[in-house]
Amino acid sequence: MMKTSLKSATRTGMIFGLVFIFLTLIGFIVVGANMFGGLFVKSAENQNSVRVDAVNLLVFISLFGLLSGVVFQKRQPDAKWMHVVLGGLFTGLVIGLIAGGAVFLIGILHVKGIDLRNYLPNLGPDTIKFALFHSTPLSAAQTYLIFFIIFSLAGALLIKVISLGDGLKSVFDQVKARAAEQVDSQQLRDLMKNKFFLVGVGLLVAVLLYFLPLMWGSYWNYIMGTVAIYILLGLGLNIIVGYSGQLVLGYVAFFATGAYTFALLTAPYPHAIGLNPWLAALLSVVVSVLTGLLIGLPILNLRGDYLAIVTLGFGEIVRILVRSDLMTPFTNGPNGITNVGQPSWLGDVFSDVNYMHFLMLIVLLGLFVAKRLKDSRTGRAWIAIREDQTVAQATGVNTFQYKILALLIGAAFAGLSGALFASRNQFIGPEDFTLMVSINVLCIVIVGGMGSLPGVVAGAFVLKGLPELLRELSDYRLLAFGALLVVMMIVRPNGLLPDRTTWFSRPVPGKDQKNYDEVNQ
Amino acid sequence: MIHDLKTRKLSPELIVRIVVGVILSIYLGWRIYLSIFGDQAYGPDTWLRFLITGLVIGGIYALIAIGYTLVYGILFMINFAHGEVMMLGAFVGFFVLEAFAALPTPTEGNPELTFLNAYPVIALILVFIAGAAISALMGYALEKIAYRPLRNAPRLIPLISAIGASIFLQNAAQLLFGPQRRQYLNPDLLARGSGWMIQVGEKSVMLTYTGVFSFVLSILLMVGLFFLVKKTRLGKSMRAVAENKHAAALMGIDVNAVISKTFIISGLLAGSAGVMWGIHNGLFNHYVGFLPGIKAFTAAVLGGIGNIPGAMMGGMLLGLFESLGPALLGIDFQLKDVIAFTVLILVLVFRPSGLLGEALSEEKV
Amino acid sequence: MKEPVIQAVNVSKHFGGLTAINHVDLTIQEGSISSIIGPNGAGKTTLFNCVSGFYIPDDGEICFYGQMIMGLPTHKICKKGIARTYQNIRLFKEMTALENILVGQHPCLNSKWVESILHNRRFVNEEKQAVLHAQELLSFVGLPGLENTPALNLPYGAQRRLEIARALASRPTLLLLDEPTAGMNTQETAEMTAFIKNLRDSREITILLIEHDMRVVMDISDQVTVLDNGKKIAEGKPEDIQSDQRVIEAYLGPGYQKITN
Repeated sequence: MMKTSLKSATRTGMIFGLVFIFLTLIGFIVVGANMFGGLFVKSAENQNSVRVDAVNLLVFISLFGLLSGVVFQKRQPDAKWMHVVLGGLFTGLVIGLIAGGAVFLIGILHVKGIDLRNYLPNLGPDTIKFALFHSTPLSAAQTYLIFFIIFSLAGALLIKVISLGDGLKSVFDQVKARAAEQVDSQQLRDLMKNKFFLVGVGLLVAVLLYFLPLMWGSYWNYIMGTVAIYILLGLGLNIIVGYSGQLVLGYVAFFATGAYTFALLTAPYPHAIGLNPWLAALLSVVVSVLTGLLIGLPILNLRGDYLAIVTLGFGEIVRILVRSDLMTPFTNGPNGITNVGQPSWLGDVFSDVNYMHFLMLIVLLGLFVAKRLKDSRTGRAWIAIREDQTVAQATGVNTFQYKILALLIGAAFAGLSGALFASRNQFIGPEDFTLMVSINVLCIVIVGGMGSLPGVVAGAFVLKGLPELLRELSDYRLLAFGALLVVMMIVRPNGLLPDRTTWFSRPVPGKDQKNYDEVNQ
Repeated sequence: MIHDLKTRKLSPELIVRIVVGVILSIYLGWRIYLSIFGDQAYGPDTWLRFLITGLVIGGIYALIAIGYTLVYGILFMINFAHGEVMMLGAFVGFFVLEAFAALPTPTEGNPELTFLNAYPVIALILVFIAGAAISALMGYALEKIAYRPLRNAPRLIPLISAIGASIFLQNAAQLLFGPQRRQYLNPDLLARGSGWMIQVGEKSVMLTYTGVFSFVLSILLMVGLFFLVKKTRLGKSMRAVAENKHAAALMGIDVNAVISKTFIISGLLAGSAGVMWGIHNGLFNHYVGFLPGIKAFTAAVLGGIGNIPGAMMGGMLLGLFESLGPALLGIDFQLKDVIAFTVLILVLVFRPSGLLGEALSEEKV
Repeated sequence: MKEPVIQAVNVSKHFGGLTAINHVDLTIQEGSISSIIGPNGAGKTTLFNCVSGFYIPDDGEICFYGQMIMGLPTHKICKKGIARTYQNIRLFKEMTALENILVGQHPCLNSKWVESILHNRRFVNEEKQAVLHAQELLSFVGLPGLENTPALNLPYGAQRRLEIARALASRPTLLLLDEPTAGMNTQETAEMTAFIKNLRDSREITILLIEHDMRVVMDISDQVTVLDNGKKIAEGKPEDIQSDQRVIEAYLGPGYQKITN
């Protein structure tokens, strides 16, 4: 038992130690430390910056050590106190040696004047000095060692203590039970059905949605607008991937055709067609749907992963073609299209706020349509296809027809989003339609919860809105994104707000739910 | 489609496909004819040059493709992050070469001599070993961290995890080493751009040393792998696990170990490919794995997924298509990448089981 | 004499070098309960899959009320009136019991996707009727009140019944049951046997089963077909099959006498 504890401690320590070195080498240690340090310790304006840095770094190291202790202890919940203490200490020791040792080495090199920025550009002298607490390598390494040991132990002890009291889970359960006592769920359900209540909530939400764009300034307006467009995209892809289970990795192709159709029809260059924006938007949808038909028909019966790669291929083909010399006379190639047409209502061109309101309206409409589609024969057919395509077809569902339908409706959503995107941004170029866009939308759907509408909204906010909040970390955004995907798939593959078809039961005429045993006494 | 032909079903879909296929073939045939025999045609020297390039890059694609096909055969998942494993190999090779180039070994006649040029053969061997080994390690870690916990999940989930891992690795490399393109420091023995001159009519074509080196090494590695899979116990275990995991486990095969070893082997090949890329092409950065990764997957599908000789053949063919294609079809070289994607689409539409046929178990859909 | 429900003539199916079924004939009369039995690997499931459209036979003809059905896509076969269950239960796991049955009704319903969005009168009415019908079926198979339970949460026996309910939802004239009593104890088997008989009697459906449990087969079958190594070796009433020497030898090897219950 002791041996396994030590092995586990070593492994945890090594992983955390290497991660720490990695964070140092990419320069995150500075940004991260300042962020976390700033959360915990309020520093006065004119305080010694060296001191501030040191404190921040200490906070960062402490949290890191704490986390390592937590992770270590979580892997051996039934360990005796002795093992907990020794294990925690050992984990900290390993991290301290690895991380401290690395920092020590880097410090020595720095002192000797060796600059590694040729190979590791984020390891500038400022970063190194920061990592050394602005002091000598030896004292820095010692500090690392001490703090890691202490806080790793603390983390392990913390988990052990919590587990003594039946663990965090039971705490949550108790809170939930207590809350459930207070709020009778039947009352809640009745409330949800009460017409007055619903109208009241609806009015409140409407008022909120109306006034927010007026208040939050043009920066947030732009961000929320992007979120709205991505919600629409998410809704569309949700129908393809979430409802009918077809993994399409080239969704951006429809987005691009919609955007380019709109732009080419309304911009003065290169074609100067000057079509009415509303008409152009309609045509964008039509073109996207036709693209969907063209792409979808030949490949619809492909196996899941193949479909993914092929659609990825299509997405890339569209982008490469649009920017190629071959198509430049038609699409203006890499230069993109400027002065895209602006919609107007009753004579006035849309302002930022108008746009936001309009987008909100469209999003609500989209949610409405998506919901209605799901709770219908069509929606059920799609979900049956997703669950088990062979059986769905044997149960009478014409799978080919429904799969293509999902694809076309999804394409329509993307086409509309494209038109909105082009119009709002007033400028589009081929680099707006890279593979990353497809992947972003796919992640919104999956991370939010496949098939779930609140999930799509949540996903769009998290994956598009959150990065804006954390602007200072924008360099590390994609790194975190990739890690988030992997972690989410392992920890919570159903998504943030999973699709629960039994969340609020559909109105079942006349009956209430009974227990199986009760029925079969 | 071939099945439909066999059962003599003439659905409208089939008719459309045949018509489209015939029209496409005629059109392409005409363009090819023009480019070979027309006025604006390229000379034989240019064709030879394209051929050589195609073979070299084909060998590299083949090595990466084998990695995809091995993993798909055993786990039924597309290892999206495999391109990044190759990228890592390229970086490791770069750093080792730099280190060797910074190691002074001065002699009487040449005070500036470095280890790299004093012992180029040893240096190269070490570079490849380092690149392949680190990539193998990365492959192993990738499976253990991002794929193993999802072994029993529906197919979509590990795919997303793979995409996440790919994004993570690309950006980790970018943050660690910077986004700028770096250049491989070849030993003088194997300097880029130098080679044997071949006379073709009045013109001459260069057969680069690096090109020959890469090609030969690719072939050697492929042969080695072929023997590994066919003759060794590990190879047999791999095939058994690919065929039926449960049965293999019942026969006493440690399925997890075999899967890990599969990833390690894929990593070895991809790492070597990465180093080759650096030595032959010179320039690379964190993005170097993306396109070759997708193209190598295309190659694996082209040859028949799960089929190792198929992957080898697919890789070589794709390299040739890509190199000769734009010239043969008279289209812009910009659209070279489109060729790979188009080939993929055509293969999957007209012959989804690939040229040599899939080699998968029935544990599928 | 009425057109037989199923008339399969000279059906063969090969998989690579293996011949799964070899020139098999099968005739099923309307309103009958027929069983296909045979040792493992005899080709029962292959034959089943050919009749239900999952496989296309390499040779021979299969007619449903005189119409050839080989090669038809399975959804068309379902529309014609053939429904089936599966040996290893293939329900739509994430959907509720009610939803599973609603999907079963898919070929009988008509609403299009546009109507789903508009919620016009026809759509609303149709959905209401569908839900009522689904509840009826749920009660019929003995699972009232479990509408909103996700299928994967149901106990094994309930899942089997739900699968049958889903099959019945498309109002089939021929129901194919693939080992309906697999994994059941004596009591559950008896219940299922009674249920199948009741099904035929009350709903006037023709039933074809694959079964391994001889008691069930002998109890309710009007006709038993025995396959061995891809060939039909006997066919007839249960009593006749029980004493057929070839059948006994196929199961027990040469040299044995009567199969005793």
